[in-house]
Amino acid sequence: MATTTAAVTLTSDLLSDALSVSTTTTCMKAGTTADGLDQMRMGRNEVPTGTSFDLLDATTAGIDKANKVYIANLSTDETYYVIVVIDAKVIGRLYGGDWMFIPWNMDDATHDLEVTAYVGTNTIEWVKFHENETLATQGD
Amino acid sequence: MATTATITLASDIMSGFSGISNTMTLTEAGTLTDLKETTGYSRKKLSSTSKVDLFTMADTNTTLGVDTSTGAKVFIKNIGYLGNEDKSVGVKVFINSVEIGLLYGGDWLMMPLATTDAEDVEVQPATDDAVVLEWVMFYQ
Repeated sequence: MATTTAAVTLTSDLLSDALSVSTTTTCMKAGTTADGLDQMRMGRNEVPTGTSFDLLDATTAGIDKANKVYIANLSTDETYYVIVVIDAKVIGRLYGGDWMFIPWNMDDATHDLEVTAYVGTNTIEWVKFHENETLATQGD
Repeated sequence: MATTATITLASDIMSGFSGISNTMTLTEAGTLTDLKETTGYSRKKLSSTSKVDLFTMADTNTTLGVDTSTGAKVFIKNIGYLGNEDKSVGVKVFINSVEIGLLYGGDWLMMPLATTDAEDVEVQPATDDAVVLEWVMFYQ
């Protein structure tokens, strides 16, 4: 079984009793206890400002399959940001230096994950760990 | 007064993948100023398939003074029930009824939030098995 783990350590001194949370999860296929995700894609993109792009396209084959998505905004200017959208719903802004990690469930084939850059050209890095992807038949 | 989050991804799916480690400091939108407010760390047991709000943004805007479209971040974890992180028991996470994905036992997410009015963060167990969620939001 392929093994993919995602760990996070979250610390904060905003409260008088400091918060510290550390956890690790093993990324499994949807609803299974013994079968790990076995496919992945990763990339790095320069996203010009003002245009919305599909970062990850939802597919019929991917409906209700497990996907874990990591996106980092590698822009070094903290004023730069991308707006992350799933199926036309704005999730939030990922500023330069920020990252996010989510399960991404395609509940239909239009559940695309999109990004739009603002202020300037943003550099993003992303990884999708997933299952059940087959290559498209060769076209002309 | 700083809040930091470090992610570490490891996988043997692809032979050339050496892993990712990335730390972000949670800051106010477009600045290097640390986020100063938090909901505090919370937990709740769910045992039905009813959809419930983790964050009701209209209330949050009113009572906690969340600005819209800012640097807010949310962390949510499915800690299972009675120490059993069951990978077959999932909880769907939504923003205003648009599904983000499923958190199975032990899974977590961290993502930015738009925190605009009515864009509630909702959760819905896929089954009526008991499950406990933990969560925290940092905002400005």
